[in-house]
Amino acid sequence: MAYVGTPIDTTNQFQSLQGKRFSGNGSTTAFTLDVAPTSTLDIEVFVENVRQDPNSAYSLSGTTLTFAAAPASGTNNIYVIHQAKAVGTITAGAGTVNADSFDNTVISGHDALAATPADTDEFLISDAGTIKRIDYSYIKASNTPNFDVRLSSNFGLTNDTFVKVTWDSETFDSDSAFASNKFTVPSGQAGKYLFMAHYKIGNSLGYYTFKYYKNGSAVSGMDRNIYNYANSDNDFSFHHNAILDLSASDYIETYVQTTSGSGNNVYSSQSYWQAFKLV
Amino acid sequence: MADVATKIKLYLEDNSKTWDAEKNNILIQDDSDGNGAYIVTWSVSGLAKPSDSQLAAFDTAGNTKETLDATLAKRKTEYLSWEEQLDKLYHDINDGKLDKTGSWYTHIKAVKDANSKG
Repeated sequence: MAYVGTPIDTTNQFQSLQGKRFSGNGSTTAFTLDVAPTSTLDIEVFVENVRQDPNSAYSLSGTTLTFAAAPASGTNNIYVIHQAKAVGTITAGAGTVNADSFDNTVISGHDALAATPADTDEFLISDAGTIKRIDYSYIKASNTPNFDVRLSSNFGLTNDTFVKVTWDSETFDSDSAFASNKFTVPSGQAGKYLFMAHYKIGNSLGYYTFKYYKNGSAVSGMDRNIYNYANSDNDFSFHHNAILDLSASDYIETYVQTTSGSGNNVYSSQSYWQAFKLV
Repeated sequence: MADVATKIKLYLEDNSKTWDAEKNNILIQDDSDGNGAYIVTWSVSGLAKPSDSQLAAFDTAGNTKETLDATLAKRKTEYLSWEEQLDKLYHDINDGKLDKTGSWYTHIKAVKDANSKG
């Protein structure tokens, strides 16, 4: 005959009821339990095999069981059985814990970190539907790579010629990605970068054109052309910003052209080129 | 040695072209690698891109042109702004010195004399 009714649970492991024995001496009223019951009704207390009234014969404070009157002398003549203690552990089946199983205390019930996580602290994410853990280092907004380079001396320009500026003095270079007068996107660092070049130019009247070169060619639409109206009493400064979407191994350089004749410079004082990864 | 750009201008003029008309059709670049400037783009209608030897033929003339250009550029910076020059003319008129004794004329002449075209 087929089995009728709820199948026997063969998955979960149940534990035995817990008990404790004491020996009375006619004077001691307080005994220490291994587990703190929630209520006097959660335990059964026997003295000389006589069940004690949970409403009057004893009281509880944490793990301390205190009798209203000292039990008589006898070896192991007092015993306590915990009836309300958890007696089994249910293991949830794989894939059966869903959003309805949680409430906000899953988060709010834990201590707040209240500090910037360490790079190796982990978060849970859904990677296209698969739960994975990820280190904080992968998701923090570090804005690296970044660099700041300068000129160690005035940089001479050639009339009507686009000349690559040789930024030869590094202030910082987070990923050692700036070398040989160009910035090269490191492996794994593709993304959008903000480039900021500031040029202090001499006092020659004329047009100056500033270009960003990507992989050896001018980046279309990212050049600037400006006329210097400065006279002999004024120098001329120009700021050239650009956001470029770059892939790994792409490299960026800066070129400047003047139409102001010979002898013009990008001055080392106040000229710089900086960049950092946005996202 | 004259700049490549200067020699190209002379090459254009020698072939009845002008830099102003063709400058957007020519791209000259220097990669700061020690190899000097070179022509990246040449799209001049009816005129072939010059060879190195053709450009070298304009080296002496190029040096002369650059010296003259530098002199003119220096004059330009020393002439003072147009506001300052007009102020000199106002004072010269006001003082009845609109001749070679006026402050504007003497200033301009001093700049020209100090920066001779040679």
